Amino acid sequence: MKRIRSVEELRSLRKQAQKQAAEREKKIQVKVHLGTCGIASGANKVLEAFIHELETRKLSDILVLRAACIGLCGREPIVTVIRPGQLRVIYGDVTVDKITRIIEEHLVKGKVIEDWAVSEDTPWFKLQEIRVMHNQDLNPMNIEEYISRDGYQALAKVLTEMSPDEVIEEVRKSGLRGRGGAGFSTATKWGFVRNALGDEKYIVCNGDEGDPGAYMNRAELEGNPHAVIEGMAIGAYAIGNVRQGYAYVRAEYPLAIETLSHAILQARELGLLGKNILGTGFEFDLDIFPGAGAFVCGEETALLGSIEGKRGNPRQRPPFPANKGLLDKPSTINNVETWSNIPLIIWKGADWFASVGTERSKGTKTLCLVGKIKNTGLVEVPLGTTIGQIVFDIGGGIAGDKKFRAIQIGGPSGGVIPIEYLNTPVDYEAVTALGAIMGSGGIVVMDEDDCMVDIAKFFLGFTTDESCGKCTPCRAGIPHLREILTRISEGKGAIEDIDLLAEVGEMVAEASLCGLGQTAPNPVLSTIRHFRKEYEAHIIDKKCPAAVCAALFRAPCQHTCPVGLDCFGYVALIKEGKFDETYRLIKQKLPFPVVLGRVCHHPCEAKCRRAQVDEPVAIRYLKRFAADWASEHNIEYIPKIREKREEKVAIIGSGPAGLSAAWDLAMYGYQVTVFEALPEAGGMLAVGIPEYRLPKDILKKEIDDVRKLGVEIKLNTRIDDVTSPLKDGYKAVFIAIGAHEGAKMDIQGEDLEGVYEAIEFLREVNLGKEVKVGKKVAVIGGGNTAVDSARVALRKGAEEVYIFYRREKKDMPAIEEEIQSAEEEGVHLHCLTTPTKILGDNGRVSGLELVRMELGEFDKSGRRTPHAVKGSEYKAEIDMVIEAIGQRADTSLIKNGEVKVARGGTIVADPRTLATEQKGIFAGGDAVTGAATVVEAIAAGQRAASSIRRWLQGKEFLPLVERDGYEPITIPSIPPTEEETQEKARIRISEIEPKDRIASFEEIILGYSPEQAMEEARRCLRCDLEV
Amino acid sequence: MKEITLTIDDRQVKGEEGDTVLDICKASGIYVPTLCHKDGLSDVAACRICVVEIERERRVMPACTYPARDGLVVKTHTEKLERYRRLILELILSEHEHNCLVCEKNGNCELQNLVYQYGIDEISFPVNKLLEPIDDSSEVISRDPNKCILCGRCVRACAEITCQGILNFASRGSKTIIVADLSWPLGKSSCVACGACVQACPTGALTEKLAQFQGRSWEFRKVQTTCPYCGVGCQIELNIKDNRIVKIYGVEDGPDNKGNLCVKGRFGFDYVHHPDRLTTPLIKRNGKLEKASWDEALDLIVARFEELKNKYGGDALAGLSSAKCTNEENYLFQKFVRTCFGTNNVDHCARLCHASTLAGLSKAFGSGAMTNSIREFEKADVVLVTGSNTTENHPVIGSYLKHLIKDNGLKLIVVDPRAIELTEYAEIWLRQKSGTDVAWINGLMNVIINEDLYDHEFVESRTENFEQLRKVVSKYIPERVEEVTGIPKEKLIAATRMYAKAEKASIIYSMGITQHTTGTDNCLSLCNLAMLTGNVGREGTGVNPLRGQNNVQGACDMGALPNVLPGYQVIGHAPIREKFEKAWGVKLPSVEGLTVVEMVDAAADGSIKGLYIMAENPMVSDPNLNHVREGLENLDFLVVQDIFLTQTAELADVVLPGVSFAEKDGTFTNTGRRVQRVRKAIPEVGKSKQDWEIIQEISQRMGYPMSYRSPEEIMEEITSLTPSYGGIHYDRLDGHGLQWPCPDRDHPGTPYLHKDKFTRGKGLFTAVDYIPPAELPDKEYPFLLSTGRILYHYHTGSLSRRSKPLNNISPEGFLEMNPLDGESLEIKDNDWVKVSSRRGQIETKVKITDRVDKGVVFMTFHFAEAAVNLLTNDALDPVAKIPEFKVCAVRLEKG
Repeated sequence: MKRIRSVEELRSLRKQAQKQAAEREKKIQVKVHLGTCGIASGANKVLEAFIHELETRKLSDILVLRAACIGLCGREPIVTVIRPGQLRVIYGDVTVDKITRIIEEHLVKGKVIEDWAVSEDTPWFKLQEIRVMHNQDLNPMNIEEYISRDGYQALAKVLTEMSPDEVIEEVRKSGLRGRGGAGFSTATKWGFVRNALGDEKYIVCNGDEGDPGAYMNRAELEGNPHAVIEGMAIGAYAIGNVRQGYAYVRAEYPLAIETLSHAILQARELGLLGKNILGTGFEFDLDIFPGAGAFVCGEETALLGSIEGKRGNPRQRPPFPANKGLLDKPSTINNVETWSNIPLIIWKGADWFASVGTERSKGTKTLCLVGKIKNTGLVEVPLGTTIGQIVFDIGGGIAGDKKFRAIQIGGPSGGVIPIEYLNTPVDYEAVTALGAIMGSGGIVVMDEDDCMVDIAKFFLGFTTDESCGKCTPCRAGIPHLREILTRISEGKGAIEDIDLLAEVGEMVAEASLCGLGQTAPNPVLSTIRHFRKEYEAHIIDKKCPAAVCAALFRAPCQHTCPVGLDCFGYVALIKEGKFDETYRLIKQKLPFPVVLGRVCHHPCEAKCRRAQVDEPVAIRYLKRFAADWASEHNIEYIPKIREKREEKVAIIGSGPAGLSAAWDLAMYGYQVTVFEALPEAGGMLAVGIPEYRLPKDILKKEIDDVRKLGVEIKLNTRIDDVTSPLKDGYKAVFIAIGAHEGAKMDIQGEDLEGVYEAIEFLREVNLGKEVKVGKKVAVIGGGNTAVDSARVALRKGAEEVYIFYRREKKDMPAIEEEIQSAEEEGVHLHCLTTPTKILGDNGRVSGLELVRMELGEFDKSGRRTPHAVKGSEYKAEIDMVIEAIGQRADTSLIKNGEVKVARGGTIVADPRTLATEQKGIFAGGDAVTGAATVVEAIAAGQRAASSIRRWLQGKEFLPLVERDGYEPITIPSIPPTEEETQEKARIRISEIEPKDRIASFEEIILGYSPEQAMEEARRCLRCDLEV
Repeated sequence: MKEITLTIDDRQVKGEEGDTVLDICKASGIYVPTLCHKDGLSDVAACRICVVEIERERRVMPACTYPARDGLVVKTHTEKLERYRRLILELILSEHEHNCLVCEKNGNCELQNLVYQYGIDEISFPVNKLLEPIDDSSEVISRDPNKCILCGRCVRACAEITCQGILNFASRGSKTIIVADLSWPLGKSSCVACGACVQACPTGALTEKLAQFQGRSWEFRKVQTTCPYCGVGCQIELNIKDNRIVKIYGVEDGPDNKGNLCVKGRFGFDYVHHPDRLTTPLIKRNGKLEKASWDEALDLIVARFEELKNKYGGDALAGLSSAKCTNEENYLFQKFVRTCFGTNNVDHCARLCHASTLAGLSKAFGSGAMTNSIREFEKADVVLVTGSNTTENHPVIGSYLKHLIKDNGLKLIVVDPRAIELTEYAEIWLRQKSGTDVAWINGLMNVIINEDLYDHEFVESRTENFEQLRKVVSKYIPERVEEVTGIPKEKLIAATRMYAKAEKASIIYSMGITQHTTGTDNCLSLCNLAMLTGNVGREGTGVNPLRGQNNVQGACDMGALPNVLPGYQVIGHAPIREKFEKAWGVKLPSVEGLTVVEMVDAAADGSIKGLYIMAENPMVSDPNLNHVREGLENLDFLVVQDIFLTQTAELADVVLPGVSFAEKDGTFTNTGRRVQRVRKAIPEVGKSKQDWEIIQEISQRMGYPMSYRSPEEIMEEITSLTPSYGGIHYDRLDGHGLQWPCPDRDHPGTPYLHKDKFTRGKGLFTAVDYIPPAELPDKEYPFLLSTGRILYHYHTGSLSRRSKPLNNISPEGFLEMNPLDGESLEIKDNDWVKVSSRRGQIETKVKITDRVDKGVVFMTFHFAEAAVNLLTNDALDPVAKIPEFKVCAVRLEKG
């Protein structure tokens, strides 16, 4: 290449380069994107294969070009096809075997292969604002391609048209802030160095990107190295007295070093680095200094020390590098992305730069989206884009439709931002206000399977290892923080540990020497701030809600089960064909296996590790199998009464909570009476759940077991005053009255005939009362009650049943399988719709006025808030309305405020002991939590029994459920065979056909045969056996 | 410096711009706890104990590095700070199990003090009980990583004081440790055992190995005194228990050493308690030295000296005084020789080291001492070091120079035939052939004059005889100099420019310059060079000979020389002689006496019959030892007064036990003309006596009355007779001592000489031509042998070889040989060789090293068993009578 000696020569080179580019445009181009991750996925092979194939086919007119990473990390290898006059087409997951088809169909025939193409009509592309990354489609090894896109024009401009002060002013006007994380004003920083005394100054590019999950700088250096070089040359000019710059790039980025080295050589050859640049007399050169693998060297003073050849230890500031930096000379250190923005600001202007962003955070920011997110990758968005937009729109939400929990932003220096803050704009101030930092922009997305204590432990482990060891707080403080976290994650923590973490964390953050120590406690402090309950769960309940902290459990299924059922155990027994023992194992911990085998919402399956192979083990169906098998074989299990006791206990309500408490108390020898207002025992099991899900005779049998244990159940006996049993000689009372009252929508027409509360509707049907069902039935709501009501209505003869739900289907709280079944049975689901008025005719329902909803900002649960779309109101002809929008307890039995009732109508009891403020009175189940699940109600019953026993024995309450005396059952400890771990879908369960189902209330799911059950059980990975 | 005002803890305090907050707190008496800070070391803000709250700072800030500004508002003891400090201390305590019970630092431990002060009896964190192995591999330092708090003071001490940089941090995070070199045992590392790290360590992590279990801090009696080894005059603090010296610290306020010591000064003191110490007088009977009473010994001495004096006259007697003894003792000794013997035959080993300095510098400037002060090198821009292996022979000055070069921008030129350590720090190293010094110095001056780099004004107004100099040096064009010296002319020119263009340039030299037959010429040439560039009479400039022995300067000052009386008052000058005659009450001989080597010659030829040697060991130190033995054995009567039975004492008729530095009061004058106190710390060993008392007793018995009651009384007499010591009184010497000239009681002392006016009036240029050494290699003796010293030993080894750690580190002598010569002679490392010269032959081990050039070998003279002075040439400089130790010709044969 010939040295360029003037701006004119640069312009003519640009012209020539543009001409070459235009020539390329006339041809068909295949660009293979060769970033590090592309290469790791085999992009080099793809490139070679294209060249080879096209040569073989003598298609030499088609250009095969190399380009850089365009951020679609999840889809690597990526190939872009550009045909003259047509839009580009991006293909993802291009393996060598796909090449032939791309050549034959697209390159030769011009036919886009739609199913391989990455659609650009998605938020991923549309919400991005590509600026820094705008040259990633070029060949980074060719300086002329950069020049063809106005490369080095900004440098030419500052050298010939602007004074150094004007350059700094332009940068100031742009509002550019440091992209390395701290967000300090770049212009101000430059100004400090410019004004510092000294005729020898240095500028440094910090490319020591070390945050876990951050790789934007790598992509930028690999894809657009000249932007960094040009930016630094401009900076050198603006600061003055700078003749040498250094790019400190971590050695773990060999490709970035290669690309940048090549770019520097080319720039030198062209005279864009070195002496007398563009004939202006300006001198600047740049060298690469490869980092040696220390995270702390990303800290600017440590980085400088490292360049000086010393141990990469940070130095105390002040003095700041601006006054005493590299070799004690005034220096500025800016991040790769900061430098990359400079040519754009100069060439396109500060106003253009500031046209996106927020008030105080201008421009764009590249972000790496990693973790539990669908679209893993590198994006560039305007600052101020909200976390929700990034995670859900651009990122596509959580992989595997798990529940989003939080993001970790800023790497180990950052913090977690939980679901409540999805509307927070990602800018420097907002992120910092939440206890995190912007950092270099790595965003780790976390879902319900991520434990916050574990996350904090992970990052603290990272900083423990990466601390340079110089200052005491960081060197000795961080390991202790981590040790405390370890203690907590192993269930050995004390509640005071949370304060200790905060206390030490605060000191480490404030008293540490450099940014590493100052920010290292952020993951702890921010998780405590946002997830204190999770810490408490580990410490008090010895529970890791995400089932991550392995020291706390044997297997995630068991750990997640509210009653701690050893799922792995009964699955293992089924696998061995030991059904009798299976049943006893289950029944020992759970008095209602038949019921739960049918209606449990099975949180165990959500944590089943088998899901990482294919899908979870059918734990619930296996339980049902065992329970049904026992029932069919008349196997009964009534536990031995431990020790007879005289104390009487009253239980109000015979639902799953009440009966479980009764079972446990009776088992421990207490005299238990259950008072039930309704004519049937079972609570919601009897009057809430329709028969086709839970047949009555089966339920009765399990309730009879409770009676067999000696529990007296008084039906049709309403307790009007919660204190009355105490007066009648009962030593303790357990309120387990459930939530049997429906909530109202507060719209016009709710008093019309034909308007039902769902819970009332189901109760009437279940109790065998005559209920007149309309022809066109509207169910309002999205929970299980709504779905049950809709399906019951169908079975009761409704012609058309609609469910109107104000959010999206994925937001419906009902069990997914139930929704699916309902739809199969013909229920019409209308989402994003809500009634505004019930229309009436002669006092009867005649129709609904509805309005369409659209989703707006995120609410605290992480769901988008629905808003009515103005003018979208419409009417539907309806003759029956079932309102299923919520349930509450009937708390009329609390007469004088002896027991506190919360504003939402729930009874207040200590969540761990279930004791109310009134001595001797306990409460649990739906009455306390609001409508929840059966298994949670059973767990509450067992918890209450545990507390009541301690109360009666005059002992202090325990936060944990005390329940012992299990019959020893040996669980086989045979790990799965190699074959059993291979991919294999779960055994489908037989069901009655939808059309047959709606004819009656027959149970629709038929259960496994013993062979099926054993086969399914073989899918279990036996996590409990892992060391 | 601009004065600034700050508000600290609601108090208005003043400081100077450039101070840190901690500086100002300390100056204002505001206590801020510290651990990693140590005065004299850089600050790194690592421990964070000194954090303070500063208005408008978001975080607490370490006071030790925070630059103070006008108007700064600082709080040093808020509730938060105290909480943080407690936590930090707890964290430090949690890193290892600190067991104070058996810790050497118990009672003197900065960590223990803070923990006590903060009353920390419980730690919120689990304590890491994992025991790390103790590194006991060093002869002098014990490293216990379990007591290390990673403050890094040792690392900085090693890097900034001794500039060795051996210690450093290794690994990261909580695994961080301090290692020597590449994690080698300290004893196997390149550690020079200076112990700066030990002195810097705030805890018991680094301790004096030999002091282990010998006493705890509160049990020690502490006495400040002056180091007995080299001429730097380091101030040391003896820690004494049960009248034994257990350990030594460098006095942080020591004017020239600032706390720094070398391995000898810090660890080489155990000779004081060596069982070899002489405890009674000995008299030779039947060829064997036998114990005797003081009366027997003294009576015999007096009888024999009187007999010889009566028979042969006073000039048949002579005395060798001692550069190891105090000023008072030297004064008394020369007074004794001059009054009792009635002769000027008094000299001492200065003859063997800096006689040429005295001759040269006196001639050129009028004073033969270091023109400037040690601590003035930090004011210099360029220092030229020639013929001085400073880092080994004056280690504290050596490391000070290294520090100034590394951290202060001082530029160094080294001119030395050997690749001494300083060459690694030099901007330019000129490797001249041994003995060609006049040539290269003239070469430098040739370039200076040619390039018009000389100081016209200085030359004109302050000097004389320039034209003659110009004439002579004009012949020394760089090409010719290259031929003679082997120094490439480009390098010579570059060095010239660097030296001449410096605003302040200083010259340091030592025996590489003086121990030649042209020693005086060499010194004169250096004086010429300094004057030519105006580098005399200003701070940070000058011609600075580094004196070898602890009190060689003082011994000279005291007139233990054959030609001058105390204060260099010339014996030949009648008025001066009269002054002394009046004071001393005797007639003084006017004829100059004999010098050291001349005395030996005179003994050999029989003109000297009796000799009194005080604490000198010519049987190892003098050239051509066979000849020395011949001379000493030929004497009629020899008295040796020493603390050990030296090789010389073995030849004596009577041996008198003197005392070591630790047992005596008095003064030493260091190389920087600083008179400093020596303080009696322990009682005399056995029946040994104070050296001054011995002299006084002999004198009295010989009929010359002396009745001093203390060294201080002797000093008062010195003061009255010696103008340059006129103001030196003991009551003024506590603290930083005094630098002569100090003419009267109110004079503050003189840091640098020749300000405005040379001592002799005008500086005298002396044109000198190059003369080759007396003996150069030839066919028969093809190698050039040079001699010198090493770090771990001292002079004739009579002290250092009786120090266990020093002798363990360096137990034997060796001959340095260039690898090329080793190859051609098929000699490998550790092989034995026979080395012979025209005068003698020895056997020694070989060390192959490129420190010496091809054709050159080097040996030290510390080891009597391989006494290199059996080989050296006793050819003398005609003026100064110094022998040519640095050049002689030898032959090597594989042993």
